[in-house]
Amino acid sequence: MPTQNRKRYWKSREERDGAPDPAATDREFFDTPAVTGAAYTTRRGFLTAAGFGLAGAALSSCSRAPVVQAIPYLVQPEEVTPGRPYFYASTCGGCSAGCGLIVRNRDGRPVKLEGNPDHPASRGGLCAAGQASILGLYDSQRLTAPMRDGQRASWADVDGAIRTTLDDIRTQGGAVRFLTGTVTSPTVRSLIGAFLKPFPNARHVAYDALSTSALLDACEQTHGARVLPRLRFDRAEVIVSFDADFLGTWISPVEYTVGYSAGRTLRGDPPRLSYHAQFESRMSLTGGRADWRIALAPAEIGIVIGHLAERLARMADMPLAPGALPPAPVPAARLDELADRLWRARGRSLVVCASQDTSLQVLCNAMNHAVGAYGTTIDVERPSYQRAGNDRDLEALRDELSAGGVAALFIAGVNPVYDLPDGDGLAQALRTVPLVISFADHVDETSSVARYVCPDRHFLECWSDTEAVAGVVSLTQPVIRPLGESRQLIESLAVWSGAPMSACDLVRAHWTQQIYPRRRTDAPFRDFWERAVHDGVVEVTPDAPAVRPFGEAARGVMVPEAPPLPDGDFALVLYPTVGMLDGRHAHNPWLHELPDPTTKVTWDNYASFSPEAAGRIGIADGDVVRLESSDGLTGATKVIELSAHLQPGQHDRVVAVALGYGRMGTDRFAKVGPQWIEGRTTVGTNGLIGVSAAGFRTLANGVLRDTGRLVRVTKTGRTRPLAATQSHHMIAVPAALAPAGGARRPIVEETTLAAYVKDPTAGSLGHAEPTADLWPPDHPYTGHRWAMVVDLNACTGCAACVIGCQVENNVPVVGRDEVRRHREMHWIRIDRYYADGDDGGVDVIHQPMLCQHCEHASCEVVCPVLATVHSSEGLNQQIYNRCVGTRYCANNCPYKVRRFNWFDYPREDRLQNLVLNPDVVVRSRGVMEKCSMCIQRIQNARIEAARLGQPLGPNAVETACQQSCPARAITFGDANDPESPVSQARTSPRYFRVLAELNVKPAVGYLRLVRHRPEDGGERRHG
Amino acid sequence: MTGRIVTIILSVGLALGATLLATRASAIRLTGIHQGYEPVQPIAFSHRLHAGDLQVPCLYCHSGAGSSRYAGIPAVTTCMNCHRFVTTTFGAVRAEDDLARQENRKPRLLISPELQKLYDALGIDPVSGLPAPDKTPSPIAWVKVHNVPAFTYFDHRGHVTAGVPCQQCHGPVETMERVRQVETLSMGWCVNCHRQVNRTGVGGKRVNASIDCVTCHY
Repeated sequence: MPTQNRKRYWKSREERDGAPDPAATDREFFDTPAVTGAAYTTRRGFLTAAGFGLAGAALSSCSRAPVVQAIPYLVQPEEVTPGRPYFYASTCGGCSAGCGLIVRNRDGRPVKLEGNPDHPASRGGLCAAGQASILGLYDSQRLTAPMRDGQRASWADVDGAIRTTLDDIRTQGGAVRFLTGTVTSPTVRSLIGAFLKPFPNARHVAYDALSTSALLDACEQTHGARVLPRLRFDRAEVIVSFDADFLGTWISPVEYTVGYSAGRTLRGDPPRLSYHAQFESRMSLTGGRADWRIALAPAEIGIVIGHLAERLARMADMPLAPGALPPAPVPAARLDELADRLWRARGRSLVVCASQDTSLQVLCNAMNHAVGAYGTTIDVERPSYQRAGNDRDLEALRDELSAGGVAALFIAGVNPVYDLPDGDGLAQALRTVPLVISFADHVDETSSVARYVCPDRHFLECWSDTEAVAGVVSLTQPVIRPLGESRQLIESLAVWSGAPMSACDLVRAHWTQQIYPRRRTDAPFRDFWERAVHDGVVEVTPDAPAVRPFGEAARGVMVPEAPPLPDGDFALVLYPTVGMLDGRHAHNPWLHELPDPTTKVTWDNYASFSPEAAGRIGIADGDVVRLESSDGLTGATKVIELSAHLQPGQHDRVVAVALGYGRMGTDRFAKVGPQWIEGRTTVGTNGLIGVSAAGFRTLANGVLRDTGRLVRVTKTGRTRPLAATQSHHMIAVPAALAPAGGARRPIVEETTLAAYVKDPTAGSLGHAEPTADLWPPDHPYTGHRWAMVVDLNACTGCAACVIGCQVENNVPVVGRDEVRRHREMHWIRIDRYYADGDDGGVDVIHQPMLCQHCEHASCEVVCPVLATVHSSEGLNQQIYNRCVGTRYCANNCPYKVRRFNWFDYPREDRLQNLVLNPDVVVRSRGVMEKCSMCIQRIQNARIEAARLGQPLGPNAVETACQQSCPARAITFGDANDPESPVSQARTSPRYFRVLAELNVKPAVGYLRLVRHRPEDGGERRHG
Repeated sequence: MTGRIVTIILSVGLALGATLLATRASAIRLTGIHQGYEPVQPIAFSHRLHAGDLQVPCLYCHSGAGSSRYAGIPAVTTCMNCHRFVTTTFGAVRAEDDLARQENRKPRLLISPELQKLYDALGIDPVSGLPAPDKTPSPIAWVKVHNVPAFTYFDHRGHVTAGVPCQQCHGPVETMERVRQVETLSMGWCVNCHRQVNRTGVGGKRVNASIDCVTCHY
């Protein structure tokens, strides 16, 4: 086996360079206070204590058991059997992507959200934020009653006052503005329209906090309709992305991940593997998956788009005059090759761009037209409605507001005071508007300055609908009785219009009039509706606006000149994270504690620098830096201070900061986690989680931009270390402990497409498992044998599985301080490895790591109380009630997947506790825990199959991590059943097991990553 | 002298203690085991009458046992299936009939005080069967007799499917006026039965009763 050309993988730069990990120096244990004076125990003292102890024990053993009450229903609902889960189909309201949901209910309350496999766009996938959004339902700080001038009020008072004011405005002809995010619900859209109709001067303004306005504007220019084209990644063989993090946060990541993975299955002959090139400034989740990734400054991206467009126009013989272009920052040969690839894959290639520069988007449309993407990989006839925001309208509204020309402003689903650059100015302007009504469900930046707050319901309490993609209409149905007295937006509008109606009736009425006539079946309405409620989604004839074929608008498009970057300045890139997005999930502790897929940082935002840039200005991880920028328009200087994070793969002149942090109300997390002797707060010096970077956005010339600002970076001399998990639970032997000259342990395996085609086992490290065995063959596995296979080629590292597991298995939140002590409790973590790439960049590989359920488990042999033992079906069982907390098992686990309950993690919020899965124990202090392969699901499926007299089917058990994986990277099942998907995955030539040479025989295996690098001959490996 | 007195007192105490212990050895048990627990219930419901004399099948009321982890306590509406018509004991009805015949009047509707609690819980007037405006419905808080610890997931479904008689674990409930915990419900008791049925089967059928820890603990 070739052992040269060994690629070294590393999780942190300290690991790569062999330096001590700064996180490791933050000691896990604190010093025991010194014993002072004669504090030793006397004989008399000992006997006294022993006597009391004995008496106490005797007394406590005499105590009666607590009386447990069983309170049955008075009238039992038909579908409810206590203890039996029941399921509703619905639509996710976590963002505007509108993925299909299956809600698992237990005893009248939802306990888990999963993807709906029948949804034609999301196909069973559900992202981390979507799965975590169930916690918002049980948020004790959610507003449950209307507020007037910051005081709790009754609906009758609020409704009366609002109606009187609205009547006055109607007669006086005052300007009424309805500000929302993208409204994907056809019912809500039409009801807002109907509500505004009686007002002579009314307008509905929609904007997206994570704006894609330029993309829509470009479509309007080139296709005559302001729509978001539907991107069909599943049909694309060559994908070129300019700064679009489409697998992580851009528009509809689940839908795109589903499609993207379908194009990279390696099935068929030749194996199907799309080619993906990514040009971006920071290291995004999507960039980490790219086959060719180039880091560019934001201004350079436009230049590359121009060069690529010029090449493609030449090939397609299209008239395109991009004007004089500065030299490309990428080798011309590489661009030629990329253009050639796109051209050869005509009709199967796709160019996406997240730029907020309309002319660049038009150029991308021209490229897509040149390569014949329209009608194949891009659908403009059946577009997406996931984004419809218009930044021009937003800018006009802002100006109107500051001019004082608005009489009434309704704000629903957005938080403009937080989102927009001049939030304080906007808040001032809002205070002068006579009537401001917010529908926010929390006291936030905007609702706190609104006259009235009429809280909308959580989407799990609502009747609503969503048309995410033209012709795919999904329903949202309530799965719980509303908690509190909140009221749905459409019900409020109906009341204020003088025709109160329930949300269900409103949605049904709209469906009768608008959706039902678009039906494809001839079922009567009742059946049509019942089916839609049952399935959660119905496909109807799209009624998209008419588009014209690609116009010649791209002729003569000029690429904007890149402004020269002054020496010493950085280009600022603001970006959303997978958990927080635009800040809408700021009240969700699960998402705060979710390690960012790329940086692995929790509970904070930070300023990312490339290691070289950091070296240049002399900063290290955790140093607090000051970012300063003067506004070109007003000349005002904006300053924020953040901890620095060193991010390999980022462009040298770029500093990247996450949006969505520093939200009002995140001070609630100050005391999250155990308050113990050294308890350090989870919030920053501003009392909030992270710092808002919205001040650095710009809203000018009709677009809301997150990139392009120049900032000056200075050191403050302070440090505030970040709670990053990247160096936690390392599998690799630290350099300091490795035997002299010893090889590093192989953890992940990868190969290239060329090598894979030649030899499907290429990339194998050839570590044959030892044949001799000290262990007796005492595991016959006569029945089932549970096993899992994770396809590293499909996994994008999106962390949906981490949250899925957390919700399913009652995994606690421990807080920032505990994370810094390596005590995060996630049962499944995603190890993200970097490797130095060939062209100076870094390669990224994500590896979900969970309990490997070893056949010869090293944890089992060291447990002194047999709290962890092997099951007859191949599972490594952890028995909490037997565990005494020696932690021997965690120390002996080669995969570092065991988690110890150092404390009774807080469960005081009784409302929040309703989210706990009643089928899984809440572990107490002093107990070890780890992945159980969702044993509760296995047991349930087994008993249910026996009850129905059926055999346990190969897909009867789905683990929580597997179910919602948008990329379908996880396969789980019975390895003793040769027909099961997991058995077939285990026979794949790409199958390998981590640390196989230890002979622990894990039940979890992985499929090798295959990178599409035809120019690259040899195998890649790492140690 | 005092030493001798102390010794005598101690020896007498020890002897007494030993005697007491020896006679009540059966009462000594591990903590957490509540064999013999027989709590007073909010309504004096008689299993002897319903399950024994009237032979109502267990699953008629505890219908969850066949399909859910929990056997469940029946909803009040389940009781009302019969007690819409049956408002007191048969003996009381017959006595009232006899008395009415003697007194030459129509028999009165008799309502037993225990059943009155049922109607009160549902907030209805037993005579008309309609909601009584002066009563607020409130569920009945029964006292659970058979408890397993919170870290144990017992599933009724599997046992009912396998054909294990209810009495195997719950004892002769059909003879009990007030339900009493007969078995220990300890882990050893569970595992012994699982081991045994793997050899003997249940009702002539072969079964696979797992003795893996995760059968119950997860």
